[in-house]
Amino acid sequence: MRRDDRSDSDLVRAFMARDEIAAEELYARFAPRVFGLGMVMLGNGAQAEDLVQDTFVKVWRKADSFDSTRGSLDTWVLLVARSLAIDLIRRRVLETRVLAAQEDPGDVSPGAGPEEQAETRDMASRARRAMAGLSAGQRAALELAYFQGKTSAEVAELEGIPVGTAKTRIRTALVKLRDALEVGHEL
Amino acid sequence: MSCEEVRAQLPDYTLGTLSETEAAAVRRHLRACSGCRLEARTLDEGVTMFAGAAHAMDPPPDLKARVMRVLAEEWVEAPRPRVRRTRSLLRWTALAAAIVALAGSLTWGAIEQRDADRFRADSARSASDAASYRLFLHALGGRDVRVVTFVQRSDVVVDGSAVLYDSDRGQSWVLVMARVPGYIGQLTVSLSSANGHAISLQPLHIEGEGDGATWLVTSSDISAFQTVTLRIPDGPVIASGTAIEP
Repeated sequence: MRRDDRSDSDLVRAFMARDEIAAEELYARFAPRVFGLGMVMLGNGAQAEDLVQDTFVKVWRKADSFDSTRGSLDTWVLLVARSLAIDLIRRRVLETRVLAAQEDPGDVSPGAGPEEQAETRDMASRARRAMAGLSAGQRAALELAYFQGKTSAEVAELEGIPVGTAKTRIRTALVKLRDALEVGHEL
Repeated sequence: MSCEEVRAQLPDYTLGTLSETEAAAVRRHLRACSGCRLEARTLDEGVTMFAGAAHAMDPPPDLKARVMRVLAEEWVEAPRPRVRRTRSLLRWTALAAAIVALAGSLTWGAIEQRDADRFRADSARSASDAASYRLFLHALGGRDVRVVTFVQRSDVVVDGSAVLYDSDRGQSWVLVMARVPGYIGQLTVSLSSANGHAISLQPLHIEGEGDGATWLVTSSDISAFQTVTLRIPDGPVIASGTAIEP
């Protein structure tokens, strides 16, 4: 059976069985998105690389919990990566606060800004075109939910809107993106 | 939960921000509602496409080697899953017994009596040893042996596997074994190919403690057939699997 015809369940099962080809296939498929997620959320190339490593180890350790009937492998892996990135951000915030509390205020130096993010040109332009089709509210709701893992209720509170409106904005944004980006693939 | 309630939850469900209790309730509804499953799949695809377009970046070329090295270390140090010997013993014992029965009941011109006698003796001695019956398969001049491990596809708990033997001497066969605890009755079994052709095996009878087996012997070439599906008669698919090289 050709490797590229494997179902996601078969691929994960092979990965669980320590199949190197399966590991390489998963890396090729997910490393760019996980690395990019790390760059966006963590703003740092070194930490984005760490995120890729941590994600693949965690995916292997949790592989037996993947159930293709509950959702796609893509979303499952991306949510694992996002969860790790959020934990890292929270740890970083905590370390910053602890450090600030310990330091003499006079010695505090201004924090360095995020590194320049590398973007591939066509991916970025497609993302911009797709996102331009969203309203400001839809874009904000999706970014809060996706990049920060906020629930609809938390998005509603942060945006000052009803929960139902938050849910609708997130849903509409995802459906519009799916439709717009799929059209982009067909052109 | 109603469809309206579930669809209101789907954005959070898709983005993984529901509690486990809420997510379980949504999953329960989705299992029985194709309309809501389609909506869930749409949102899931939206997330995938958004991720691919919004934040896919080529990582540094040397990152792959680093990740593969770390995984290799993990694989060496992580404990291997324990083999549940009771089930594997049952599996191989049943398989060896089936092969002995087949060898005794079929006439294969390519097999010399000497080889068949040696096989019977070997099988009796090492019924729990997969390698011994693989020797038997090679003695027959088998072209390929493929293994299918079933994946549960519904709420019905299913465990089992199938072996597909592709012969180059005109006698191929398929052996299917399954355990369905708490179920007594028949399962329909089919073998299908990627281009949509299907072969139906004799029904698999589940009795007693939930074990059952069925097999197919054929002069047809089954090398193109790779997926085995178990279904409750006139009911849903409960398990399926696609052959991989052992």
